[in-house]
Order: sequence, then structure tokens, then C-alpha cells
Amino acid sequence: MIKRVLCLLFCLACAGFASDELSVKYPLKPHHEHLALGCADCHENQGDEPSKFKAIGDKGCLSCHKSKKLLAKRLEFMDVLKANPHNSVHDGPTLYCDECHNEHKESTNMCLECHEHEVKEWMGVTP
Amino acid sequence: MSNLSRRNLLKISALAAAATALGANQSDSNAPSWDGEYDVIVIGSGFAAHAAAVKSAMRGLSVLMVEKMGRVGGNSVINGGIFCVPLSPKQKAQGINDSRELFFKDTLKAGRNLNNPALLELIFSRANDALNLTLECGAEYRDFLEQSGGHSVPRGYKTSNGTGAGIIQPMQARFKSLPNTEVKTRTKFDKFITDDSGRVVGVEVRENYRFDNKLFDDDRENKSGDKKLYRAKKGVVLASGGFCADKVYRKLQEPLIPDNAQTTNHSGATAGAMLEAFRIGAYPVHVSHLQFGPWASPDEKGYGLASKFNVTASFRYGISVDKKTSKRYMNEIADRKTRADKMFEIIGKDENYPIHFCDSRPVKHMLKEQFDKLLASGALKRFDTLDALAAEYGLNASTLKQTVAQYNEYVKQGKDPDFGKILPKDGTDISVPPFYAMRGVPKLHHAMGGVAINNKAQVLSSITNEPIAGLYAAGEVTGGTHGASRLGSNAILDCLVCGMVAGENV
Repeated sequence: MIKRVLCLLFCLACAGFASDELSVKYPLKPHHEHLALGCADCHENQGDEPSKFKAIGDKGCLSCHKSKKLLAKRLEFMDVLKANPHNSVHDGPTLYCDECHNEHKESTNMCLECHEHEVKEWMGVTP
Repeated sequence: MSNLSRRNLLKISALAAAATALGANQSDSNAPSWDGEYDVIVIGSGFAAHAAAVKSAMRGLSVLMVEKMGRVGGNSVINGGIFCVPLSPKQKAQGINDSRELFFKDTLKAGRNLNNPALLELIFSRANDALNLTLECGAEYRDFLEQSGGHSVPRGYKTSNGTGAGIIQPMQARFKSLPNTEVKTRTKFDKFITDDSGRVVGVEVRENYRFDNKLFDDDRENKSGDKKLYRAKKGVVLASGGFCADKVYRKLQEPLIPDNAQTTNHSGATAGAMLEAFRIGAYPVHVSHLQFGPWASPDEKGYGLASKFNVTASFRYGISVDKKTSKRYMNEIADRKTRADKMFEIIGKDENYPIHFCDSRPVKHMLKEQFDKLLASGALKRFDTLDALAAEYGLNASTLKQTVAQYNEYVKQGKDPDFGKILPKDGTDISVPPFYAMRGVPKLHHAMGGVAINNKAQVLSSITNEPIAGLYAAGEVTGGTHGASRLGSNAILDCLVCGMVAGENV
């Protein structure tokens, strides 16, 4: 995957790089846009009709982001308040990525359902 | 099951269409084309579901757990983790005298004598077995026993992390470690599949289902997911929880509940699975009794952390006052219904939320991180003096001080002639600053009613007045155990015992 990202960085004209029209319709999150990801990098082997693409699920996300345990480890500093969203006291490192993170629309923060006030003390906007 | 012909399986209308379509490739077009088979299928993933799943898997049965939400545990992983265990080892070690009579008296009083005695006997007599099941799975509890409202003596085991997840997570790990077990999340149970004798032989579910909390009525509006049929050779355990977040069904029971009423429940707590059990003939019991949790706050959403302060500190060791009078108006540790009714009386139509407060000592019984979070959130406030507290909430300072002085006198005498509260035996009154306070409101918390079960956790049929073969139920989806109002901490007891019993009998 990383190799492919690098390839794309050097070769922006590669097939699969989103057109302007598509990038308006299916905007990417800044961190992914910065890597110049194209549609097919996530929607692998899903044909060439974006309206028919399916959500890539945890498996898709983790093909780059490795594992939920690793993600929990990266936010370990938030364990102090037991407020690590990737390893919460309620769920541990088990939640679906898209329970909170969306790529083409605004993400949500599930913790807000009960912890309306505390979330802003604990963490920033969900990427 | 073994003595049924395949043809017999298929007379039920709900199944027929689906099965005919799915069974097109089979030689016998009448038989359901199962997508998989298990000994036991458990619907839901909270306390009751886990107890049933773990227990039946320990017996060597193959078990499928289906959960419609993305997260495992439903309300159980956001609950406060207080588990009532009458006649427990910790009570014994701490010299607390409890008895069957006292447990029944407390529980029947809160339940307005509507409790099913056989089910009360069951949860009382198997409480320690359920506790041991959780310990065997690795659950950990604090030494401090909680005294939830309406209990005459402390009975509450509290998980070491202060939430029911302290029970669910180790049970889930144990379940997954047992052979032939499987958990399917985002899988919505839709229908029971019955044979022509009425026996439940499987379930129809939708996989890849995505609950949508933006819908008003997810059970009926959400069409997502792919239909699958799973066979349950021994039986199905319905442990789908309550329906306090079901805007349609709860309003049918209590028309005055506004659609935007706050609930402590997660958004997936809807009535669909219970209604499907009614459809195949389960007796409904007490479905219009909805319980409000009296320890919530209007200054946070959902379950929040307010209950941690009110249950452990303010109600037990402090008082609640009416803002308009600066006086007490209830027994702060009465049962939930008594308190919620009193609070709604004074809240009235002008949102006159009562103020719950205590001094600096009781908060040490809270988990420190929960106390810190609540204070940082602003829902809980700290005051150096009662004058400052009165000023913040618009109370009359001199009346408030009289109220506190009177209450402190009651603590000294060990008797509350005004409201009959059981006062702290260690003499904790309201005198050592700083003081901690919050605004309170009851929130929709527990559906008392559900399907009728017997003391083997078998679901009873309104068609035959006998158990529905192959169908068991446990937890909040059942009705009758708690009567009109459940005592705090009895939910975990009920869920774990009845789930365990279902797992033993299925």
C-alpha cells in the first residue's frame, strides 16, 4: 500500500486518481487527500463506476492502518483518563472503524451519545 | 426436532415466502435453506445474552450470538456496573446481615407487589451462582458494597472499572475462547422460524445491517442488510433488551412521553425483537410500566456520569432539595419510582430541576477518574460554602442552611422522621466543605415489561399456556420479575441469573 502511495505521489496522472468532479462528489479527508489517494486505492477491484462502490469495512481500513490494537497503542496517552476512543473502558479495541470515521462525509464521535461535555476535554474533532 | 419431517417445518406463513425463494435449489422446495446451523442462537449481547451464551457453550454446545449494533453489549456496556448479590461473600466479610425475607420485602415494596414470586425466588437463590460465573470469566469487583435505592442493606458488587463492561468484556473473551462459538454484529434478528407444532427451530436475520439512529423508527424504516436463515437445533435465547429508546412503542404505553425525552439507553434499545416474540404467541407482561432512573442530570446527554455521583455520594450521604423551597422533598434512597415521581412533581412544567448535593467526604467512594471527569464536564460543581451553592442555583441560603442543620440532626439521631431515609451508619452528614452539587432529572431507564417466562427461562405461550418449545428469554426483554419498578442493581442480577438458567436448560 505504501509503495502504491509513493507511486501515486510521483505519478499523479496514474489511472485511478480521482477527477475534479469525483473529488467534489466523494471528497477525501485532508490526511488522505494529502497522500493523493485515488478511488481505486481503497475501492480495489470494485470496477470503475464510483456510484456502485461499496464501503471497504474494517478490512479495507486496516490494510493500511494495520490493527485496532496498534491504533489503540498509538493513542495510549489518552488511557490516563480512560478516554482512549480506540480502547475505551466500554468497548476496548473492538469497534468498527466506521462507527465513528467516515471518509466521504463528516465523521461522528460515538462517545458524544453519553459524554457530551467531556468529549471536548478528551479529544479533538474525529478525523 | 429429530422426529419432525422436513415438510412439517414450513407451514408458517412468515417463513414460507423467504424459504421458498431461498430453497429453490433444493430437491425439497418446502424445506428452509439454512445458511448455517448451531445448537443455540442467542439474540442480543448484553448481560443476559452473555450468561446464556457462555453457559451453553461451556456445556459443549455450538452457539451463535447475533447483535444488531456494531458494538457488543448494548446497554450493559454503558451501565453503571452495580450487581446486587444478596447473601454474598462480601456481605458476610463486612458483617452485613441480609436475608431472603429482607430481599423479598425490599423488592416487592419497590415492585408494588406486582413481582412474579417464582422469578424473584429464582434470582435470589441463584445470585451467587451468577456471581461465580462472572468471576470464573475474569470479572473484577471493588470491595466497597453499594447501597442502591430501596435496598435495606448494601448488596451491590461494583465492577472495578465502574461500568457493566467490566462484566461483559471478560465474558465476551471467555465466550470467544470456547469451541464452536461465533458472534455476528450488525446482524438484525427479524423473525422466529417455527415448525407446525409451534416449536422455534431457527431465526431469520439480516447481516450487514446498519442501525441508523437518524431514523425515527429504525425497526420499521431500516431495510438494510442481507437476509439469512440460521437453524437452532436446541433452541433460541431471546436476550434483546428493553425498549426505552423506541419512540413509537414507548409512546403507545405512555402517551405523555415526548419523542425527544432523554433516556439512559443506547439508541438501539427498541421493541422489535420482543414484538416478534409476541407475534408467535409469547404472553406480554407489564409492558406499560416504564422506569425512569432518578439519578440522571439534565446537564449531560444519555446515561452520562451523573448517576455515579448521585448513587454513590449525594443520595446516600447527602440530600436533594427543591429549588423553589430550598427544602428536601423525598427520601433520597427510596426506590426509583418513588423518587422519579416526586422529582417530576417538583420539576413541573417550568424545568425546576432539583439540586442534589453532599459534602466532601462521600465523593471519595466514587472512582477518581469518574469524579474528575464529571467535575471537568461542569455538570457537577464544587462550592466552598453553602452560601455559594445557594447563590449558584438560586436557593434561599438561610433556608438551605436550616434544611442542612435539620438533616444533620437526623443523621446524629439515626432517624429521618420526615421521609424515612436509611441514614449513613458512619455518621456522615453535610458539614465538611467543599460541597458538591448538581441539577437532577429522571431519565427513561428500564422497560419493566416484556415476555413472560417461567423459572427455567422458558417463554410462555398465550396460545397454550405452556412453554413455547425451543424458545427461552432472559433480561430486560422479559417481564414480571421486578413488578412495577425495579430496584437499582437488580437488573444485572436478573439478567445474569436468567441468562445462565436459559444456558443451562436450552
